[in-house]
Formats: sequence, C-alpha cells, structure tokens
Amino acid sequence: MDTTGADILVNTLKDEGVDTIFGYPGASSLPIHDSMLKSSIRHYLVRHEQAAAHAADGYARATGKVGVCLATSGPGATNLVTGIATAYMDSTPLVVMTGQVTTNLLGSDAFQETDIIGITMPITKHSYLVNDPCDIGSILKEAFDIARSGRPGPVLVDLPRDIMATKCDLADARNVPSRVKPHAQEEQHDERLKKIAVSLNRAERPVLLIGGGVKLAQACDDLAGLIEKGSLPFVSTMMGIGSVTAANGFNLGFIGTHGNELANRIVHDSDFILAIGARFSDRSTSVVSEFAPLATIAQIDIDASSIGKVIKADLSLVCDIREALEGLGSLIEEKDRQEWLGRIKREREARNQSGEMDECGAAGPFIRDVQAALPEKSIAITDVGLNQIWTLRSWKARAPRSVITPGGLGTMGFGLPAAMGVQMGEPDHTVVVFSGDGGFFMNIQELATISCYQIPIKIVVFNNGHLGMIRQIQDLFYGARFCDIELGTSTVDLVTIAKGFGIEADRVVVDNAAAGIEKMATSTGPFLLEVVVPPENYVYPIIPPGKSNIDMISGRVG
Amino acid sequence: MGIQERIIEILVNNKPGVLARVAGVFGRLGYNIESLCVAETISPEISRITSITNADSDFIEKVKKQLTRLVDVIEVTELVSGQSAQREMVLIGITLNQKNRQEVAQTVSMFDCKIISMRDNYCTIQVAGSREEVETVINFMRPLGVDKIARTGVLALQRTGK
Repeated sequence: MDTTGADILVNTLKDEGVDTIFGYPGASSLPIHDSMLKSSIRHYLVRHEQAAAHAADGYARATGKVGVCLATSGPGATNLVTGIATAYMDSTPLVVMTGQVTTNLLGSDAFQETDIIGITMPITKHSYLVNDPCDIGSILKEAFDIARSGRPGPVLVDLPRDIMATKCDLADARNVPSRVKPHAQEEQHDERLKKIAVSLNRAERPVLLIGGGVKLAQACDDLAGLIEKGSLPFVSTMMGIGSVTAANGFNLGFIGTHGNELANRIVHDSDFILAIGARFSDRSTSVVSEFAPLATIAQIDIDASSIGKVIKADLSLVCDIREALEGLGSLIEEKDRQEWLGRIKREREARNQSGEMDECGAAGPFIRDVQAALPEKSIAITDVGLNQIWTLRSWKARAPRSVITPGGLGTMGFGLPAAMGVQMGEPDHTVVVFSGDGGFFMNIQELATISCYQIPIKIVVFNNGHLGMIRQIQDLFYGARFCDIELGTSTVDLVTIAKGFGIEADRVVVDNAAAGIEKMATSTGPFLLEVVVPPENYVYPIIPPGKSNIDMISGRVG
Repeated sequence: MGIQERIIEILVNNKPGVLARVAGVFGRLGYNIESLCVAETISPEISRITSITNADSDFIEKVKKQLTRLVDVIEVTELVSGQSAQREMVLIGITLNQKNRQEVAQTVSMFDCKIISMRDNYCTIQVAGSREEVETVINFMRPLGVDKIARTGVLALQRTGK
C-alpha cells in the first residue's frame, strides 16, 4: 500500500524505456519529482519550461524515441505551449506531463490552475486528465502509443497532485489495453500502389518530393534504393532534408520560399510528382495553382488528412511509408532516364556557373568551414531566420537525423534548448546549434542549464544586431523602410555573457573565423562562438510574397 | 458542388472532452454547426453525434479525415437523405388568447402535434417530424405569437443495418 500514483507513473515511464526527462518542478508536480528521485530516470532541470518542451523535441528528433517533458500546473504548463505547438507541426512524438491542482479544486480558479487540456487541444494529438491513480499505467502507455503511432505528435497528460500523492494498491491498478490499433490497410491498397508505380514508370520527367514523413517512418534506406533503381531525381521539403544523403546526383535540394532554385525549377517542369510523407505546406508550394502545373500528383502518407489537403492528388495511398516504399521498390522499373537527367544536369551546371546555387554571402563558407572542422557525424540544429536558411543550404546532411530544424511552426528560440535535448539523446555525437542573435535571446537562460550539466554543445550565434530575415523582407518588399528590427546586440557582449555563465566563448567576424572555429572544434565542453555578420548579409534567392516557386529573385528588384 | 445541408453521424467514445474536440475540428475548418444531437447509443460507452452543416462538397472529405484523426472518434459517416430516416422535435411555447386560441388548436390538430403542457393560458406544443414538417409547423405558428421554441436538431439513422 505504499505505492503512490506518482510511483505508478514513474514505473510506467521506465517500462516505456524513458531514461531522460526535461522539466521544471512546482507545487503541483512535486509528488512526481519525489517519486523520480528513487528511480534511474534522469531529470534535467531547465531554466524555463519552454526549453523543456524544445529539449524533449530535440531529443525525439535526434533519437527517434518519444521525448518526455514535465512541468507544473498553471504557468509551468502554459510555458510549454510553444514547444508543444512546434512538435505538433513537425510531427515529433512527445509525451508532455503537467502537474495540476488537486481534483477538489479543479475549475475553481485555484492558485496556479489553468485548463491546459483546453489550451492545447488544437496542438496535441490527444490529451488526458487523470482522475484515478488506478488508471495512470494504462493512460500513460496509451499516451506513448498514440505519440509514436501513425503520424507522430505530442500527447499531454494532466496529473492532479492528489491523484499523484494518493496511496493505492497495485492490485487495483487497471491494465486497459491501449486503443491504438495497427494501421489498417487502405481499401485497394495493392491497386493504388500499382497505379502509382505504373505512372512513375511511364513518366518522362518524374520527381520525388520527400517530406519529413520518410525519416519519421525510418524509411530512408528504402527510399535510397528506390531512387537508385529508378534513377529518380528528388527534391525535399525543409523537413525532408537529410532523408537521402548519398551523393548520387539525384538530389536537387529543397523546394519552396527559401529553397534551391534548381529544385523549384525542376518541380515546375516535371510531369509526375510523387510526394512521400510531405504535406505541401505553403512554404513549399507558394502559389498552389502554379505549383508543378504540368505534373500528375501522386501522394503517399500515413495521415489520410494530409492527402489532397492542399493540392489535389491524382493518385494516392494512405500507408506506412516504409511499407509503401518496400512495395514500390519491386514494382518500379530500372531506368537510366538519360534525357531527363541530362536536362537536369545542364540546369544544375548553368546555375553553378552563375554562382546562383549559394547566395548565403559569407555565412555559407563559414558554415562549411565549421562542418569541416567538426567530426563527420556531427548534428546541426538551427534556430529560425537567416541562420536557418544559411545552415540548411550550406551544411551537408550526412545522416537522416543530422539536421534538425523547426520547419512548420518556425519557432525562434528553438535552437539552443533543442540542441541540449539532441546532445542528451546522442551523447557520442558532436552537436552544433546555429542561431541568430534574436532567437538566441529568446531562450538565453538555458546557458545556465548547459553550464550546470556541462552539456558540450557548440553554440554559434550569428550576431547582425538585427532580425535579419525580417530586415531582408523590409528591405526588398517594404521599400527599405526599416523598423522595429534593431536588436542592439552590437552593444551586448555575448562573449562576456557566456563567460558569466561559465561557458567558454570567443568572438569572430564571419569572413575571418578560422581561429574561432578551431577553438570551438577543439573545446571539450560547451562553447559559444559569436559570429559578427553584417546586417546586409541576406539569403538569396527568395520568392517574393504572392509569387510562385519559379519567380525566385536573386536581389533587389524594381 | 454548391452549398447544401449535410448531415454527419459521428460515433465517439462517451467521455468528457470529446465533444469539444469534435466541435473544434468544425470550427478550425471554418464550418458552422447548424444543429447538433448528442446522446449515448445502445452501448452506453459510445455516443452518437448527429450534426448538420451547410457546406460545399469538400466538407465531408475534409471533416471526415480530420475527425478520424481524433483518438476518441470511432466512425464518421455522411447520412444522405434518401438512405437515412430523419426526425426532429420542436417544443413551441405560446400564450393563448381570444384571438389565437382557435387557430392554434386547429394547427395542432392539422399537423398532429401534441399539447404537452398548459399553464395559465401558456401552452407548450410538441412537434415531431422531418425537418421540413417541423419547419412548416413553426411557420404556421409564427404569426400566432410564438413566445419561444426549442429544437432538438435533426436525429438520423441509416435505413439499413450492418
């Protein structure tokens, strides 16, 4: 009878293989922390709950396991919201646990009470309010199942303090089987798959469009096989970057607003697009009616609601992507596609010659130098803004989960805490986060966490004293009427700040950074490298608002 | 296809918060719920939600896919008029006076309605039938000084078992 609800919770977490939790305690969540003390689960105390959610997200993205975070009721819970939304948009499996006021106070506007289930309803796959300690085991197991099944996503479990503190007899604990069922095959699965294969075989100018779903389904090897066999050129969405890493000439880059010109052009010219685990977000498609106007669209996704949501799919299959790719692998014909690949090659060479492939200014070579100085298997995390696009365009993904970016929600402040989670999940890999000064300031308090646990991440902060991407937009599309974008970071000494937190640091200028990169690469602990960048160092090409993917511009127009 | 009335039947687990999730899907997609009936089915752990929305033909596809993602949603079906039996009930409150007494009585008997309560000349009338039928009665009663009405919204069942 000495078992409490919290004990059952912690035991279930262990059964689920959880060894790492990011969190921040408060009165309502104390029974859980108290119970964790007796367990082997490591709790990392962050300095703001938003960072706990991002760290759990980073952990999950890097490892493929379910990330777990824990906060107290009220403000602790609401501080998680941005992190939950980020995970939801990019389909990261998370179990988010929140303390809650005691059940007799629910709905009474009690101290630190908030309806976190109501607040997070549109940004969670599912949520639970636990009101009987006997249910905790079943609920938590189901929460993990839901988080990782189908299209993954965050699940919230709200845990009132009295339920956690109540002693209960383990014999009374219910063991209700999880309601998550294996994905049922869509009707006419075989015919649908065959139709896609036949069209792909017949297509003269096919392109695969790779979304984040391929990595989530652990289907990268199957995809690589398909590409080789069919000589299929492919483009990625931002979330799909890194799915296929072989340097085989089929990779055209990523599409959309900040994507590669070649990728956007070839998609426009193609006659058949097979989208795999991609949801045609507005960032990828720009003007939908002008997206791939000549192409038959086929779409494979585990989530039926993604099919035809934005662009009508002429052919579709709701299916686990790995299963679908295994099937396609045997159905598609070996081809050499000389004509189509030749055309792509000419387009690529023309762009290489005019230097249009890399217009990240001095940031491009800098990022490549950082990658060259770090071990082969390093993992790069981006924040949001210019730093994100520079990194995605310049860092060469060498493994599927080696580039991590908050693509859907575009959350500034994601990078630093997510990198902590990535490092916890992959302790043997070097982890480097590229952030701008804006995003860095949004979760700068995590320097304390990093210092406290000596998390050996490399922190690159591009300091241009501005919201750089917003500056670029004002410059190009608002008549250079700059306003509300100066961060004044030039007067803030980031190196001293880092050192104040006990973190080694150095400052370099972006085009003269070799010494700083060397110092960072050889440091064994956490290291912050402030990189001074001129605010005019933008990213090109870019698609003006309201224009289609082939209307990319390479500089100021008009 | 144009905008028309569409009936959706949603079978859900009979648990707190499920209706909020279902309603949230309609709201996020920008659809208004014209009527809504929720009650347990023959299995008390399952509820049947019957809702009407005026919407274009995309609606069913979009709403169905989004609803199916919800963990507590078991099944979503569009109920087409020919293939489903539909009924709605309305309670009409009306104060009787010298002028309307006779006409109210006539309407009640003409449409086979039922007076279920009468207190100090305040009369509550029950009307049940198809949506068209109950609306006809409402339109008949309106000029007679209807004080208030309560409608259940449409209940519907597939005409065949499975």
